[in-house]
Amino acid sequence: MNTRDVVLEHVSIRFGNYRAVENAHLSIKGGEFFSFLGPSGCGKTTLLRCISGFVQPSEGRVLIGGKDMRNVGPNKRPTALIFQNLALFPLLSVAENIAFPLEVRGVGRKERRKRADELLEMIALPGTGDKKVHELSGGQRQRVAIARALAAEPDILLLDEPLSALDLKLRQHMRTELRAIQQRVGLTFIYITHDQGEALTMSDQVAVMNAGVVEQVGDPQTIYNRPKTPFVASFVGETNAIPGAVISQQGALVTLDTALGPLTGQSAGGRDYQAGERCTLFVRPEQLALADAAPATNAIAARRVNEEFEGSIRTLYLSANGLDLRLYRMNADTSGPVLAADGVASVWFRPEHATVLPADPSRSG
Amino acid sequence: MAALRQLWSTIADRHGLGVAVFIGGAVLFWVLVLIVLPQLAMFDVSLRHNLPRPEIGGPADVYTLKNYSYFLFGNGTLNTLDIGVLVKTLIAAVIVTLLDIVICYPIAFILAHSATGVAARMMVIGLIVPFWINDILRAFAFRILFGATGVINGIGQALGLWSSPIDFIRADVALYAGLAYTYTLLMVFSIYNAVETLDRNQIEAARDMGASWWRVHWRVVLPVAKPGIASGATMVFMLTAGALAAPQILGGPSNLWFTQIIYQWFNDAGDWQRGSAYATILLVICLAFVFLMMRVFKVSIGAIGR
Amino acid sequence: MTRGSGGGLFAFSYALLFFLFLFGPLIIMVITAFNSSAFPRVVPWECFTTDWFGVLVRNERLMTGLWTSLAIGLAVVAIAVPFGLAGALALADIGPRLRAGLYAVLITPILIPGVVLGISTIVFWSFVGRGVGASYDTVFYNGFFLTLLGQVAFIASYAMLVLNARLQRFDPTLTEAALDLGATPGQAFRRILLPFMKPALGSAAFITFLASFENYNTTVFTILSGNTFTTALASKVRLGTDPSLSALAVIIIAVTLIGAMVSEAHTRRQELLRSGKAGQSRLYANPLSRLLTHPGAVLVLLLGVTGFITWSASRVDANLCRAAILQEKQQVQERLMQEQRNRIQQQAPAQAPAQAPSNNPSPFGGAFNPNSLAPPAQPAPPTAPPPSNNPSPFGGAFNPNSLAPKQ
Repeated sequence: MNTRDVVLEHVSIRFGNYRAVENAHLSIKGGEFFSFLGPSGCGKTTLLRCISGFVQPSEGRVLIGGKDMRNVGPNKRPTALIFQNLALFPLLSVAENIAFPLEVRGVGRKERRKRADELLEMIALPGTGDKKVHELSGGQRQRVAIARALAAEPDILLLDEPLSALDLKLRQHMRTELRAIQQRVGLTFIYITHDQGEALTMSDQVAVMNAGVVEQVGDPQTIYNRPKTPFVASFVGETNAIPGAVISQQGALVTLDTALGPLTGQSAGGRDYQAGERCTLFVRPEQLALADAAPATNAIAARRVNEEFEGSIRTLYLSANGLDLRLYRMNADTSGPVLAADGVASVWFRPEHATVLPADPSRSG
Repeated sequence: MAALRQLWSTIADRHGLGVAVFIGGAVLFWVLVLIVLPQLAMFDVSLRHNLPRPEIGGPADVYTLKNYSYFLFGNGTLNTLDIGVLVKTLIAAVIVTLLDIVICYPIAFILAHSATGVAARMMVIGLIVPFWINDILRAFAFRILFGATGVINGIGQALGLWSSPIDFIRADVALYAGLAYTYTLLMVFSIYNAVETLDRNQIEAARDMGASWWRVHWRVVLPVAKPGIASGATMVFMLTAGALAAPQILGGPSNLWFTQIIYQWFNDAGDWQRGSAYATILLVICLAFVFLMMRVFKVSIGAIGR
Repeated sequence: MTRGSGGGLFAFSYALLFFLFLFGPLIIMVITAFNSSAFPRVVPWECFTTDWFGVLVRNERLMTGLWTSLAIGLAVVAIAVPFGLAGALALADIGPRLRAGLYAVLITPILIPGVVLGISTIVFWSFVGRGVGASYDTVFYNGFFLTLLGQVAFIASYAMLVLNARLQRFDPTLTEAALDLGATPGQAFRRILLPFMKPALGSAAFITFLASFENYNTTVFTILSGNTFTTALASKVRLGTDPSLSALAVIIIAVTLIGAMVSEAHTRRQELLRSGKAGQSRLYANPLSRLLTHPGAVLVLLLGVTGFITWSASRVDANLCRAAILQEKQQVQERLMQEQRNRIQQQAPAQAPAQAPSNNPSPFGGAFNPNSLAPPAQPAPPTAPPPSNNPSPFGGAFNPNSLAPKQ
């Protein structure tokens, strides 16, 4: 067993009557970039604090490198946590911050300084060791926090939304940098975020959480293209949700009776449906297309409400029988009909690009 | 009990066992040995007879309400002297407290919302410096000021306001002024802390809507200042009612403060039991008065000292 | 207050009046310290003198009290600050429901009248002392020990308030970060939390020392037969006053003002350095003004000025002036006695309203009587004056003998 593996075995965390995490059961392979994605209050930070040792699981156990972590304090675990606010020590210099893990281990002053300078070199901030933390910019502090965590020589690096305080440009830059650092040092990164873009671009594996429950674990493509629950479908990326009832099923393809007529999509996980079961069909805006001629399947008559230009793409806001739909077109894409204001057109999608999920989430998967 | 165990493990996890032992030990010693047990001992002694030392713990050492009944009835009829002094002390403490509120509220407001930069810092220093002067010396200054040949009498007579020196000390003017002076800092900072949280825009919005100067203060500033006023008033009242130095120095010869009676029983008469009883009475009455006022003005004790 | 210039004017004049109220008594007291008049007062101004400082220093009871007070103050700081820190830490980590209760308990000592704390302390420890059969020379009847405990009981609350205010600004994730990086809880406490608390620990130490030094209400009971500086001062004031107390006030005010100014210089410098505006400030562009605004330079400068004033003031010899005043007074007294004698001779058994020289109600006394400039009819020494330890502002003040400093 790899010392950098993390396993959560049926972990539940409760504070009084409040259930923060319910039965989280998953394993994270050593050296993986693993993200927990979910809205604020979904329990992802609690789970992270549980892995780092600040919170004890009410049920279940946390294994790191195959060892049960019960009653192992945060300072004894092979984890290092990068806090949301970074938690750099304001009274210590940059070098003292980075060398703190060595200092508490009793490493000598000279050796500490040498290691701190090496790490500063690595994060491309050489010569800043004697500055105070407040003299650095946001992005620099970010990197110092990472260097400090790495100085502890952990097996697992835990990151609690570390990029949320940065501006957009810097955030995108740091995504690439974080990924590069992770690949260079080969540690397990466990990353917490509510930003699906971060989760999808950086991660090997993503766990989507909602209301304390891990709804789906998978690689980014699977999470995006094959959501297992309505929550995952609507939280990760933009989507159009069309409710309906099952008419028939042929293999993986399910046909629903909806307000927009009969529509066919793919059953998530190859689940079998009974006729009349309440379901929802999810189709991404970029999978919807304007049709020149009436398409054979999944044709929807829609009226143009509005159009927004966002640079590389355009968003068409459509209304079909009282249901709002969104459709993305590449800016460069000039094919298809031109739709005037309040103009009506036919919109369609391929059945294998749509996902059908039961309306009742408790019966999902 | 569970909550205490929870507290213990929180502290031990966060700061370590050594620190947890230190916190637990220090707080326990402080609260129990320095505060609670002495008060209980004082209460116990107040219920006993004043016996010579060999007889203490002997058969004659029994509980009695004699010391409390003496406060109420003296040696027969109603003890108007001591009760009167207590009432007078409480009334005087209320007067001094109100005086301080009136004096300090505008200054706290000016400090929080009108003064800026250097002026504000100079004001803060100006407030603190008189507070650093010894209590006794402050009282002494007022004795110089209000004495028969003092500056006030000198000015008054020179201006022809009065012809012969006025005995401000006998009239307790010097005492009230001195006490009010002593506790201004407490009151100013209490009110300041509360008023400072007020958003300036609220005042401007109210003025914008045509509210008069008085209405702005009555409806906007005062509600925000209330906890600060309550906190300051509580401290000023308790400190005034419990003051000993200022009444001893500035009090007129015929006017006693209740603490002075306690002092006399204790140090002059050597009657610890009766002194303890009187001290207990002062403590209970003052605390009861403060809690009653907090109830009336709907302020919690958490507001004190903020 | 912002009613245009009108509000500003009101605010300004109110602030002016307020600070006149705050500083008026202190200024008057300071002036009296330099008047040779035996009773502390501004008018009549007699002679400029610094003798009262000498009188102050030679007061043995005050000086021994001073050492006791310093010792007690340091001991109180050593106990009350850690206790206050413990209380603040307990408050920070306790659950929200218990917090209000604990806060109330820890704040109550401030509200308990000082005399009650003093009495309860000596009663309790004599109780304990009796319980263990201790004699009167043991710690249970020791004024120093009892004062220490009685003062700590409420002064620790002051420390708690100061430290609590700072602790509330502490980011608890810093401790968590330290733990996470491998520090033991003890290491995190020493390396992260304590350094953060350092400025507040400093001010708490300062405030507790001051509170201990100034305390009267509790100490007057717990010190038993001993004396601290403040209790010695109080008994001196109660028995009758002389301007040596004003001299004491001058010293305290000077120390306070110097301390305040140095600390102000320190904060401003820190702020400027922290905000990074030091480079832009004109004050820092010039090396001389930069040096002069350093708190150390400010301290040296202020001490120098004070030293110079002290030195030049001590060179003023009040003896000549004092002798003149004494002579004047003797003349007045002589003349009055002469007049009286004359009257008695003229209307022998008549009930002449004897004008006692020591009962002159005018604050200006007889010193300003124009007649007193006339040469004395009889330069004989004055008759024995009434006792000079009269606490009344009248009487003794007009006694020529009381002009001599009490030694």
